[in-house]
Amino acid sequence: MASFPGPEWADEYVKALNGNSEYKDAGKTWEGDITFVVQPDDRYSKKWYLYLDLFHGECRSYKASDNENDIKKSEFRYTGPYSNWVKLINKEIDPIQGLMTGKFKLEGPMMKIMRYTKAAKEMVNTASLVKTEFEA
Amino acid sequence: MWFFRSPQIVFGEDSLSFLNTLDAGRIVIVTDKNILGSGLIDRVKKNLPENAETFVISDILPEPDYDNMLLHLDDVKKFNPDLFIGAGGGSSMDTAKILFALYERQDIKVYDITPLVKLNLRKKSHLIAIPTTSGTGSECSWAAVVSEKNEYRKNELASPEILPDYAILDPEMVLSLPREQTINTSVDAMTHAIESYVAKWANPYSDALAEKALELISNNILNVLSNPENVDSRNNVHIGASMAGMSFSNSQIGLAHALGHSFGAVFKIAHGKTVGLFLPEVIRYNYKSSKNKYDKLNSIFPDNIRKPSLDMTVENLFKKIGQPVKMNAMSINEDYYSQNFDLLVELAENSTGIITNPEDIDREGIETIFKKVHGD
Ligand SMILES: [Fe+2]
Repeated sequence: MASFPGPEWADEYVKALNGNSEYKDAGKTWEGDITFVVQPDDRYSKKWYLYLDLFHGECRSYKASDNENDIKKSEFRYTGPYSNWVKLINKEIDPIQGLMTGKFKLEGPMMKIMRYTKAAKEMVNTASLVKTEFEA
Repeated sequence: MWFFRSPQIVFGEDSLSFLNTLDAGRIVIVTDKNILGSGLIDRVKKNLPENAETFVISDILPEPDYDNMLLHLDDVKKFNPDLFIGAGGGSSMDTAKILFALYERQDIKVYDITPLVKLNLRKKSHLIAIPTTSGTGSECSWAAVVSEKNEYRKNELASPEILPDYAILDPEMVLSLPREQTINTSVDAMTHAIESYVAKWANPYSDALAEKALELISNNILNVLSNPENVDSRNNVHIGASMAGMSFSNSQIGLAHALGHSFGAVFKIAHGKTVGLFLPEVIRYNYKSSKNKYDKLNSIFPDNIRKPSLDMTVENLFKKIGQPVKMNAMSINEDYYSQNFDLLVELAENSTGIITNPEDIDREGIETIFKKVHGD
């Protein structure tokens, strides 16, 4: 069990992503980094960042921190409050519907990410594969 | 939380006359040369408010790319319209949506049209869609499909703000639709209803519309094909197709569209024909998770068409109207097929229909469906 958010969860997530052959295939031409941003809400009081450097279907490096200054500025950011991340990991929110209803926010060049819907879906599916326990 | 979005619908005989009631004086009409040549645009013009000035764009190609869509953007800006009318098939209506958005917001580019950005359109003009086929559903959708130049893939630009203000469903506009297009577009519409009904984002609103759409189309399509000028039957199929469009634009499509988009792009075959080609096999693939909903849909078909399960019913109706469900009935080039097999799989894999299909599918699963429909 890895607790979310936290360093072990980041380790487990990246391990699962690099072991996901569907992601490897769907993201094989992708080059770009993305940061998952967890925002505080009434269940979780801190911020948390997971920076992922994704290159040709693989996560080459990553860094998790609760301090924004510790992580590199990335091309994309996928941001939402803690409670919505919990629902996303538990597959109670669809990631795209989540964006369209304002539960999550995506920043970065839309045109680029639109071509990689399958890869994006596999990134979220991978999050649900990590055996996760939640802070609250 | 989710939404149901729809334009205001004007439907039935004489609905074009609604145009006359509008407060519009400078009107851009977006269409293609066939529709212009058929006299349908004259019919639209005759119903416009007196003294309205029009600017007709009639060189929209099938499956247009950005260059084709935006060819007249500067002229549109100079014309300074207060209304856009997209009159035609999906390509004309989608082009009208894009021109409307880029005229309203002259500081944005096409790629800024996404559901994640508030565009604040409708400061200067409005948007009306008048379909001349019964199938694409574009008149009810908040998406516009754009081809990429020299590429197989297409992009779907979407924003709730490019949903037309009104969709006008006048059966007169489809009475002379040729037989082949009537078949292709009705198959597209039925596929929209069936895929929407089981899609991951399906909801009570999209469900209700899919059920009624299928009832209207399956009860009337054979009559339309034997009596193409029958206004009642045409009207029912036209309304049904629009309901199917409204259904899927609120719940999304599925695997038959992913496979059909890929096959259509590689073989240059009409959209409706390609999605129908895969539909029965996709129903069988999804059966595990969607049996109850498929059974409900099956019960909606008329008795003389219905078989024990939905895949068989659909095959039966398709056979009656001449829609193939195996590639060998389409005389495709076999060498070209095997040379492009990997490309077909890859394009399908990256098509958005995969995301909202009720069952997940991997590369191998996609290959299997292609092989089955190929008859391997
Ligand atoms: Fe379609």
